[in-house]
Amino acid sequence: MKTRKLSSLLLCFSLALIVLFVGQAYATLGESTDSIATNRKALSAVRSTTITSSKYTVHVFQSETMTVREYVSPSGVVFGIAWNGLTHPDLTPLLGSYASEYQKAASHIKRQPGRKFVKVESDNVIVEKWGHMRNLQGRAYAPALMPQGVSNDEIK
Amino acid sequence: MKLNKLLFYSLISLLVISCSGGGGGGGGTTTPTVTLTSIAVTPADQRLLLETGATKQFTATGTYSDSSTQDITTSVTWSSSNTDIATISNTSGSNGLVTLQAVGATTITATSGSINGSTLLTVETNNNNNDNHLTITVNGDTLCTNAYPNKPCVSVTVCTPGSNTDCQIINDILLDTGASGLRIFSSVLTITPTQVTSGSGNLADCIQYADGSADWGPVQTVDVILGNEPAVTMPIHVIDSTFGTNAEQIQSLCGTPDVSPNTAGFNGLLGVGLFAQDCGSTCVSVTSNQMYYSCSGSVCSPTAVPLSNQVPNPVALLPLDNNGVVVELPSVALGGKTSIQGDLYLGIDTRSNNSSSGATMYPADPSSGNFITVFPVTGGNTYSSSFIDTGSNALFFDAGSQNALITCSTGIATGWYCPSSTLSFTATTKGYLGSPAANIPFSIGNADTLFSPQTNWVFSELGAPYDSSTISAFFDWGLPFFMGRSVYVGLEKTSSNLGKGPYWAY
Repeated sequence: MKTRKLSSLLLCFSLALIVLFVGQAYATLGESTDSIATNRKALSAVRSTTITSSKYTVHVFQSETMTVREYVSPSGVVFGIAWNGLTHPDLTPLLGSYASEYQKAASHIKRQPGRKFVKVESDNVIVEKWGHMRNLQGRAYAPALMPQGVSNDEIK
Repeated sequence: MKLNKLLFYSLISLLVISCSGGGGGGGGTTTPTVTLTSIAVTPADQRLLLETGATKQFTATGTYSDSSTQDITTSVTWSSSNTDIATISNTSGSNGLVTLQAVGATTITATSGSINGSTLLTVETNNNNNDNHLTITVNGDTLCTNAYPNKPCVSVTVCTPGSNTDCQIINDILLDTGASGLRIFSSVLTITPTQVTSGSGNLADCIQYADGSADWGPVQTVDVILGNEPAVTMPIHVIDSTFGTNAEQIQSLCGTPDVSPNTAGFNGLLGVGLFAQDCGSTCVSVTSNQMYYSCSGSVCSPTAVPLSNQVPNPVALLPLDNNGVVVELPSVALGGKTSIQGDLYLGIDTRSNNSSSGATMYPADPSSGNFITVFPVTGGNTYSSSFIDTGSNALFFDAGSQNALITCSTGIATGWYCPSSTLSFTATTKGYLGSPAANIPFSIGNADTLFSPQTNWVFSELGAPYDSSTISAFFDWGLPFFMGRSVYVGLEKTSSNLGKGPYWAY
């Protein structure tokens, strides 16, 4: 009984620690910045900076393999994500509720051999990838969530 | 006159006094100190063969003011005037040991204080054969599956490790200077590779491509033969979209990987790019690298991998020709051709057939491999993520302010540039730090016209924009760049007469 109490206490404590110290996880497209992706891989982000402009805030996360930039509207919603690194990130946690429509649209894309970029457009989200081995880049954004006066060219 | 004469003699005597002053004065009262007067470096004027041995011991002999001599190899400071040709060690235990790097000449100098001695070292090659040569065909006879424009293919030979009889030649291997590593579909292999392990599991690799596709499958060891080079045992990526775990997990780890040569458009890829491995040092230290996995039971988990188990650029492991490649394609006139044949030479300045003389070297970013393009030359955009890639089948770049560069929105050439007439442009390419710089002329034709007869498959004037102007930092110099040029791809951590890799040169 005692040990169970102790271990559950320990569990709570460790969870709190995780939230405290690895709180720099990625947020998810279409959700608030408070949303922390469940993907543990994302937790390897090691440092972050925040860039604020008049139209949105950019959270920059640096992991050992890539840089991820998240664009957050004044109302606190993530409307765009851009990445640059050794590989593409696992998009499932980053796209959140948009992940399944993206995957469906991606499976219908006709392969264009010899090209080093792809654009996957579904009802609510646009995902673009480009680059080459050792330097893969891309971005995802939800056009409907873009704050007024912000061009999709700004997500990069 | 008299005064002048007097002045002259005075000057002479002043000179004589001042010149003999120092030495003469103290000579009689102290013991003569023996000083080093010269250094001789041996062997003198050596001509060494690059392939007969990579190292050679040099000796410094000091001659002193009393005419005595002494071996001072370990006390002098050694230097080589061109470390791309040969380096020389100042490390205790190997002082004076020269390591040959590439064909060319360098001066080896031994220095002690203000005294030095030097000799010329010439590095030569007796490799006048073509053992380092592979034929490249673009839509030619090494191509067996889906054709598409500007697709360069080579053949490679792979053998069961240790066997020189259980071998097979594999055609339709896409030549890719934009990547590193040999990858072959499992379904075309008849030899017996050896699985590379990782901990208690089998090592698997996921390569994501920028066109949204991916290759998944085990890392296995085979003997690789490129051209007539000696067989080298190395890990390759065996492409198998069903390896290690269930389809659901593979999709979450690696997207939608290529299933077969027919869907991929090749039997495999030969990545001979700027890097010695596909991942490199990041995957040695980072477990969640999103490239390497250890598969055990029916689960694949992220894993770190030592460099020696990563999929290598096969060129990096060759005994002699291991510092890069030269890609040469013939010029292709406007309008295109049905097929062309070109040359891939392994090594740079290692033989008589891969000399870099006349080429200019453009350093590439050591982490990304990118360099710089400015387009157009005057007042143009700077494309800081530029690269040169045989695996890209056209010139891909954002048109910027070039309004005449319109894109086809319907028909066979949808997504390609379709200007009303062929347009000539010039861009500037630069090393990643901004120098050197060179202007590159190129043409963009109407893809709809080029594709319409569907008789030609090789085009020098094929181009396309990215789908989005946001990708404007990228200028992808695809296969047309290689037409009518010798392009040198200098491997990281190696050097040639051109300098240290990673670099592009042309």
